[in-house]
Amino acid sequence: MIEQIIFIVISLFTLMMGWIVVSNNNLFHAALALMASFLGVAGLYVMLDAGFLAMAQLLVYIGAISILIIFAIMLTRRMMQTEESPFNSQPGLAGITAVSVFAVIAFIFWQMREFWPLGAGEGAMPPADKSIILGSVAKLGEYFVSPDAFVLPFEVASVMLLAALIGSIWVAWPKTEDES
Amino acid sequence: MIPLSWYLLVAAALFSIGLYGVLARRNAVAILMGVELMLNAVNINLVAFWRYGRFPEQPVGLAWAVFVLTVAAAEAAVGLALIISIYRHRDSVVAEEMDTLKN
Amino acid sequence: MSPNITQSWVLALVPEIGLVILLAAVLLYDRLVKPEERRRVGLLTAWGAFAILVTTLGLWLATGEPNNATDIGTSLMWGGMIRFDLIALVFHVIFLVALMLTALLSLDVEHLQKGEYYALLITAAIGFSLMGASADLIMLYVALETASISSYILAGFATKDPRSSEAGMKYFIYGAFATGVMLYGMSLLYGLTGQTNLYILGSIFGGFQQIPTEVNAVVILSAVMIMVGFGFKISAVPFHFWTPDVYEGSPTPFTGYVSTASKAAGFAVFLRVFTTGVLGEPSDASMWWAMLIAITVITMTLGNFVAIFQKNFKRLLAYSSIAQAGYALIGLVTLSPDGSSATMYYLLMYIFTNIAAFGVITIVSNRIGSDELEDFSGLSRRSPYLALVMMFALLSLSGIPPTAGFFGKFFLFRSAVNAGLWWLALLGILNAFVALYYYLSAVKYMYLYRSENEDDPIPVSRGAKVGLAFSLFFIFYLGIFAGPIFEWTRTAADAFFVLAR
Repeated sequence: MIEQIIFIVISLFTLMMGWIVVSNNNLFHAALALMASFLGVAGLYVMLDAGFLAMAQLLVYIGAISILIIFAIMLTRRMMQTEESPFNSQPGLAGITAVSVFAVIAFIFWQMREFWPLGAGEGAMPPADKSIILGSVAKLGEYFVSPDAFVLPFEVASVMLLAALIGSIWVAWPKTEDES
Repeated sequence: MIPLSWYLLVAAALFSIGLYGVLARRNAVAILMGVELMLNAVNINLVAFWRYGRFPEQPVGLAWAVFVLTVAAAEAAVGLALIISIYRHRDSVVAEEMDTLKN
Repeated sequence: MSPNITQSWVLALVPEIGLVILLAAVLLYDRLVKPEERRRVGLLTAWGAFAILVTTLGLWLATGEPNNATDIGTSLMWGGMIRFDLIALVFHVIFLVALMLTALLSLDVEHLQKGEYYALLITAAIGFSLMGASADLIMLYVALETASISSYILAGFATKDPRSSEAGMKYFIYGAFATGVMLYGMSLLYGLTGQTNLYILGSIFGGFQQIPTEVNAVVILSAVMIMVGFGFKISAVPFHFWTPDVYEGSPTPFTGYVSTASKAAGFAVFLRVFTTGVLGEPSDASMWWAMLIAITVITMTLGNFVAIFQKNFKRLLAYSSIAQAGYALIGLVTLSPDGSSATMYYLLMYIFTNIAAFGVITIVSNRIGSDELEDFSGLSRRSPYLALVMMFALLSLSGIPPTAGFFGKFFLFRSAVNAGLWWLALLGILNAFVALYYYLSAVKYMYLYRSENEDDPIPVSRGAKVGLAFSLFFIFYLGIFAGPIFEWTRTAADAFFVLAR
């Protein structure tokens, strides 16, 4: 019961902050709300016994991505306070799209509530016992370096990060006249 | 016990909020934030599916979520670099005003 | 989990390993080379891509691997992340050729002579190759993002040019959004089964006598969401909005690259995912299949009809490339080995054709500073060679024999007729006639119209000459000796349908 109340509180917090992100006029406030929303998601990870991912969420999303976004907002500061509407010409259409996407997904999931995951038979499955997932972080580390698992995507991700690094430095670097 | 469908519904709601942000906002930074919310929703999905799935002893969903995290970081860096680059040219990052390329 | 890396596991990665080595070499060489000899970085990239291409094909001839065995167990490698089959080889050839030609044709553009530019071309190629080989949703996602992130920056690479920055931004926004939606769809497949391998997923769904309606709804939802991501990559309508703007604004050599290699990679994953039966068997009742056919028809038609009204050469080719994606989709929707091989053949010939076309635009617009159609007037007098290459590229795009495009379209339409979709083939033929109109009007500009600057010839550097000659040779080669190449892709295509037998 308490678990469920905590879940509802965290979820509502996450979603409300998410709503502020997409609706607030002031971009800086939106970025702060984004951080809060990320924090809420980290809370959900903790509830799902994914402590490692919660920490990674704190470090990468809140510590890096949000800060990066705030930097970008401050570097392009003229757009921070604006009297104009934050929305483009079709917020209504966008709203209808978003609500209908949610309605469709929610309807399908509601129908499915007895069937997740496939082949588990009738009735919703409870989460696995905690003893089963005990060493999952060690297993995760093993997966990333095992040729029988994810070593290839892991290595490719490093190429991707290199590309992002080279590329963003190139694009954001101020060019003087002689080195265009 | 919290049923799996609760997590999925929260994720779906967060996804839709992000979707709305992407579709409705004018500012490129705001659109990027919407995309980040969508990716977070996917990650909630992945972790919940791992925890409630048939193979909780194989943290495939966790591994996938870590990849998504990595990609999101790279994507944010690139996106913001492009935003700064475009800001230099026109002092505005409003997606609607990017109309040099329309005939 | 005892690591037992066999020889064929390493063989499977030869192109990617080669590309990573080339990447390091390019970045290092860029620091060592004198500023006035910067062109050499591009030459190194082109030669490197050529060397990897020769090595890959040579190893295939020498070791016989990948063979055309359609056994899944032996062809899945690296923990099921990639599949080493002839399909992967065909796509490796496509991407390496694209990289080589793009590097050659970039040589003339002053502001692209940077180590970063060539490095990003190579990282994109690494992403494309792994997309072509991937057999796992996680691998597919990471490879796709590697390719996309490199492409976003390449589109905005000319930071001095506001149009390029804008192209990069637009490509990024649409791309990040589309891959986000796609990822959500993929997560649902994982949720249903707890598996990420395409072939395991396919056998799970194939094992059902009757998929429960509720489960089917989730599968369709995920199919639609995955289609958004893949449709974006191949610029199919209605996910094509980015195409004209990005094609027009990006540096022209990169436009050629994104319109061929990126599209081919999109088709590779499209074929990989949708032929394994992951998303259920296609039948007349299958919703995603009906949707795919609708997308095919609209993509072909809309691309061609909007292209008629374009005044800018790059935009014209952008809409033409949307239409071409529609043709290539015909082979995909037949969901037969014949159709898939026709699509692969089409993509292969499209590489030579479209990169040649964009190569000519690169050289001309580099000289005259414009890519409007009317500024190409009198090109045949200013540079007969360029005009000739452009004319044959356009004829190949419209499908006139004896160019490669003719057989490309012929195989596609034949597979549609064989699959009972004769009306789709008919629509394709009608569309080809519409397309002929605007391709020929572009030729008219080059050959019939006059301009004041006719006595001002357009010089072509040796690297670009070689690149264009190479393309032109294969436009004719694939147009005259289509048989063996098609047999090759046909043998490869059998590997798509291992689960169906």
